[in-house]
Amino acid sequence: MNIALTQDNDAAQVDHDRLQANIVARLRSSLAPASPREWLWIGSLVFMIAAGLAAYAWQCIHGLKVTGMREYISWGVYMTNFVFFIGVSHAGTLISAILRVTGAEWRRSITRMAEAITVFALMVGAPMVIIDMGRPDRILNVLIHGRLNSPILWDVFSICTYISGSLLYLYVAMIPDLALLAPRGAVWERRTGWQRVCGWLSLGYRGSPEQRRLLEKALATMAVIIIPVAISVHTVVSWIFGMTLRPGWHSTVFGPYFVIGAIFSGTAAIITAMAIFRKVYHLESLLTERQFQNLGRLMLALNLLYIYFTLAEYLTTWYGALEADQRLVELLMGHGTYGRMFWLWAAFCLFLPALIVMLPLKRNLIPRLVVASILINIGMWIKRYLIIVPTLMTTYIPPESAGVNPSYLPTWVEWTVTLGGLATFLLLFTLFAKVFPIISIWETVEGVAEVGAKNIGVDIERPTLPPPRSHPHLHRLLPKPVVAAILIAFCLTIGSAVFAASAPPKLESPAPCPEILVSSIKGEDGPLLTATVRLSQQPIPDAQVEFLVQRAFGRVSLGTIATGKDGTAAVQFPNGLPGDPGGELRIIAELKSPPAYTTCWGEAVVKGALPTPAKAEPFPRALWSPHAPFGLVLTIFVLLSIVWSTYSYVIVQLIKIRKAADS
Amino acid sequence: MNETRREFLGGSLIAGAAVGVGLLADKLVQRSARLEKPGPLTPALTPQGKLIQVATTDAGVAHQHPMPPHAGTALGREEARQGVPGRKWVMVIDLAKCSGCKNCTIACGKMHGTPVDREWIRVFRMQDARHTAPYWFPKPCFHCDNPPCTKVCPVGATYKRQDGIVLIDNERCIGCRFCMAACPYSTRYFNWGRPDNSLAVNAAYSPETGVPRRVGTVEKCDFCPEMAREGILPACVTSCDMAAVYFGDQNEDAVTNADKETVSFSQLLEERAGYRYLAELGTEPRVYYLPPKNRDFPKPSSPHKHKPESPSSPEAHSSHAHAGMSK
Ligand code: SF4
Ligand code: SF4
Repeated sequence: MNIALTQDNDAAQVDHDRLQANIVARLRSSLAPASPREWLWIGSLVFMIAAGLAAYAWQCIHGLKVTGMREYISWGVYMTNFVFFIGVSHAGTLISAILRVTGAEWRRSITRMAEAITVFALMVGAPMVIIDMGRPDRILNVLIHGRLNSPILWDVFSICTYISGSLLYLYVAMIPDLALLAPRGAVWERRTGWQRVCGWLSLGYRGSPEQRRLLEKALATMAVIIIPVAISVHTVVSWIFGMTLRPGWHSTVFGPYFVIGAIFSGTAAIITAMAIFRKVYHLESLLTERQFQNLGRLMLALNLLYIYFTLAEYLTTWYGALEADQRLVELLMGHGTYGRMFWLWAAFCLFLPALIVMLPLKRNLIPRLVVASILINIGMWIKRYLIIVPTLMTTYIPPESAGVNPSYLPTWVEWTVTLGGLATFLLLFTLFAKVFPIISIWETVEGVAEVGAKNIGVDIERPTLPPPRSHPHLHRLLPKPVVAAILIAFCLTIGSAVFAASAPPKLESPAPCPEILVSSIKGEDGPLLTATVRLSQQPIPDAQVEFLVQRAFGRVSLGTIATGKDGTAAVQFPNGLPGDPGGELRIIAELKSPPAYTTCWGEAVVKGALPTPAKAEPFPRALWSPHAPFGLVLTIFVLLSIVWSTYSYVIVQLIKIRKAADS
Repeated sequence: MNETRREFLGGSLIAGAAVGVGLLADKLVQRSARLEKPGPLTPALTPQGKLIQVATTDAGVAHQHPMPPHAGTALGREEARQGVPGRKWVMVIDLAKCSGCKNCTIACGKMHGTPVDREWIRVFRMQDARHTAPYWFPKPCFHCDNPPCTKVCPVGATYKRQDGIVLIDNERCIGCRFCMAACPYSTRYFNWGRPDNSLAVNAAYSPETGVPRRVGTVEKCDFCPEMAREGILPACVTSCDMAAVYFGDQNEDAVTNADKETVSFSQLLEERAGYRYLAELGTEPRVYYLPPKNRDFPKPSSPHKHKPESPSSPEAHSSHAHAGMSK
C-alpha cells in the first residue's frame, strides 16, 4: 500500500515535470534572448520614448503654452490619455480576478498577460496627470497641503492603492514561476544574475503543501479585494468630471459608464495583446481559439452594456434639453469636427464591434476579434477626447458673446508626448515578456493536471517549434530605461525699487465753519439723531442738514431736514442699522444750506446700532472650507483601511511562505 | 495714493458734554470740518480701522497706474488667507446702466497688469431669448459662497476667506486646472507661458495682488482685496462712467458706486429686483445683478432683426447659441 502510494506520487511527479517542461518549451521563444527584429522594435520604442521626453522637456522649459490648450479649453490630450490608459488598465486585473474568483478554467493562460497590462497601463496613465500639470515641480504639495475634499486627492489615493494592489497581485501569482526560473538551466543557460533575482523574488517557494496553501490563500484574497479597488478607480476618475457642474459631466451615471467603458476597452486591449504575442512568440498552442472565443463573448456582452449606458446618458441629456446641454448635444452630434468624431466613435465602439463579433461566421474568429479590438481601442480614445474637449467648449455663458472663439488643436508636443507614453507602455510590456513567462506556467500545468488540457483551452499535443537561434549575451545589453531629470529653471527678474516719495499735503486755511454737534437722544417714537448747528454760540435756524452713516466706501443718507429755532435738526435713528462690533456707528451731519456753509460737516460716533460680528464665524465643515465634512473623511478612511489591511494580510502570507521555506 | 489729506477743523468734545438726559452716545468724538472744493473728501478706513480723508479724484486716479499701487500693503501668503475681520464684501452690477463700454475691463487690466487675453471682468452681450432685447453683462469672479472651484482644489491653493473673497495662492498652486474646469462661470485664467513681470519687478508676491505672476498657475478677479481693506473701491467700480457697478460690505448693508452714491444694499436689491446669475447651480454668488429694465443707454443691436446670412459670424452665432438653439 505504502509502496503503491509512493509509486503513484513518483509517477505524478514525473508527469508534472514532463508537463512543466512541455509548457516551458512552448514559451522558449519568448524567453530567448532578443532577436535582431526584437532589437529593432525595442530600439524604435526607445527612440519614441526619447522623443516624448524631449517634447516634455520642451514643455517644462516654455510652460504649457507649447500645447494647444488655452483659455476655456484647459484640458486636452493629456487628460484624454490619462482616462484612456486608466481605462485600459481595467482589463487586466478585473478580468483576471473575476475569472479566478469564478473558477473559469480557460483563464489560466491569459491571466498573466492581463495583469501585466494593468500594471503597465497604470504606469503610463498615472504620470499623464503630472505631465498635464502647470507646476510639476510642486507635486509634493499634494502630500503637504492635500485636501480630502478634492476628487484629485481621491484619485491619488485610489490610483496608488490600485497600482500597489495590482503589482502585488501580479507578483503573488508569479511566485511559483519565479521559483521555476531560478535554478540554472531550468529555462536559461547563462543568466545567472537574473536567476538570482528570480530566486530572491520567489521567496524560497518550493511548492510544499504548506506553501501551496499559503499561496492559494494570498491569491484568493488578492483576487477578491482587487475587484472593488479596480471598480473604484475608474469611478473616481469619472468623478473628476462628474463632481463639476458642467454640462455633459455632471451626470450620476458617469461612474458606472466609465467602469463599463474601461472594462470594455480593457478586454479589447487583452485580445489585441494576446493576438500579438500568439503571433510573435508562436503561442498558438497555449492561446487557442477557446480563449479568444470566450473573451469575444465577454467583449460582446460589454459592448451591449456600453450601448445601453450610452443610450441612458445621451437620451436623458438630449430629451431633458437643458439650455447648455442642448448646445453640447448639438456640438457632439451635429456637423462639426466633434460631430464627425462622435459618429466615428459610435461606429468604432458601439456598432462595428458588435456586428463583427456577431457575424455568424465560423472562420477567421481571431482576425475578426483583433479588428474589432483595435477599432474599440481607437474609438475609446476618441470617446475620452469627446468627453473632455466639447464640454469645456460648452460653457454656460458662450464665450462667443464676448467675441472670443475658443478652439483646440493639439500641438506636436502633445502628440509626441502621447506617442512616447504609448511607446513606454509597449516597451514595458515587451521587456516583461522577455524576462518573465508571459503565460502563467504553474497555473497552466496545474490546470492540465487537474481538469485536462482540453478543459483549460490549451493544446499541449501540438509540436513545439524548434528553438530559435540564440543570440548570446545580447540580453546583457538591454538598454536601461531612459531616465531624464528635468529641472525647470525659474528666473525672476530683479530690479531696483523706485518709490515715488509723496510730499506731505499742504493745509489750506478755510473760511470759518459753524460748529455742528451730532448726538443721539431718546425721542417719543424711539431714538433720534440730532445735529445742532451754531456759529459763535449762536444757533443757526433753517439750515438744511443731511444725516449720513459712514460706510466702508461712502456714506448712506438717512435724510435731510432743516434746523429749528434752536439750531437743532433731528431724524429718526432707523432700527436695525448695522454698526460696528460694539454697536457703534459713525454719523455725519452735513450742511446743505445756507450756501456759505454747504461744505461744513460734523460727526459723532453714536451707540444704538446693530452690532456686527467682530470676526466672521469660523469656517464650517464644508466641501469648500479647509475642513472636510466629517462623513467624507470617515468614508475615505474606512475604505482605505479595509483595502490596505487586506493587502497587509496578503503580505503576511508571503512572509509565512518565506518562513516555510526556511524550516 | 499720492496724497492723503487730513484736515479737521473744530475741536473734539469729550463725552458728557452733550445735550439731553436720554443721551445714548457714550463715546462722543465730535468733529466738524469744511470739505475741500470741488469734490467732497471721502472718509476711508485704514487697515488699523482709522478713518482718514481721501480726495475722491485721487482715489480714482490711483487706478490709472499700470500696476497695483498697493502692492506694498498687500498681505503675505499666510495672512492673506484670513480676510478683513468682520467684512463681507459684495458687488452689485446694474444691468440697466451698463452700456458695454468695457471701461471696467480696461481699468482692471491696467490695474492688475493682465495680458490682453485675460479679462478678469469680461463684458458679454447677452440675449436670453430670441425675441428679448439684448443687454450687456459684465462678469467678474462671483466669489461664490459655495465655490465649486475651491471645493476641488487639491492643495488649497484657491481658498475662500472669511470676508467672502476667493483668492489664489500662486506659490502653492500646482497648475492642475481642476478649478478652471469646475468654475461654471468660466472665470479663471491660466499662465500658460512665462509671464511678463517687468512691471512688478520689485513687488513681493501676495495672493491679494496676484503679482508677480507665476508660470503654470491660475489667476482671476480678486475683488482688489488690498484696496478694499483701505477703503478704496475696486478699479472696475471707479472706472465705470455709468456708475453701474456697486461694491460694499454686506455686514454694513451698504454699497457704493463710481459716483460715490452709497446706498443700502438690501434696499437696492429689494427695489430693483436684484438676482444672482445662474444661482440655481447652488454656488451662491456674492455678485448680484439688477435687471436691465428702463435702460440708460441704447440697446445693443439685435442681430435677429434680420436673420443672419452667414451663420459663422461670431455675433450671430453667440446670440443664437445663448437663445438656446431655438431653431
Ligand atoms: S465665479 Fe468661479 S472662480 Fe469665482 S468663486 Fe465662483 S466658482 Fe470660483
Ligand atoms: S490649478 Fe491651482 S488653484 Fe486651481 S485647483 Fe489646481 S492647484 Fe488649485
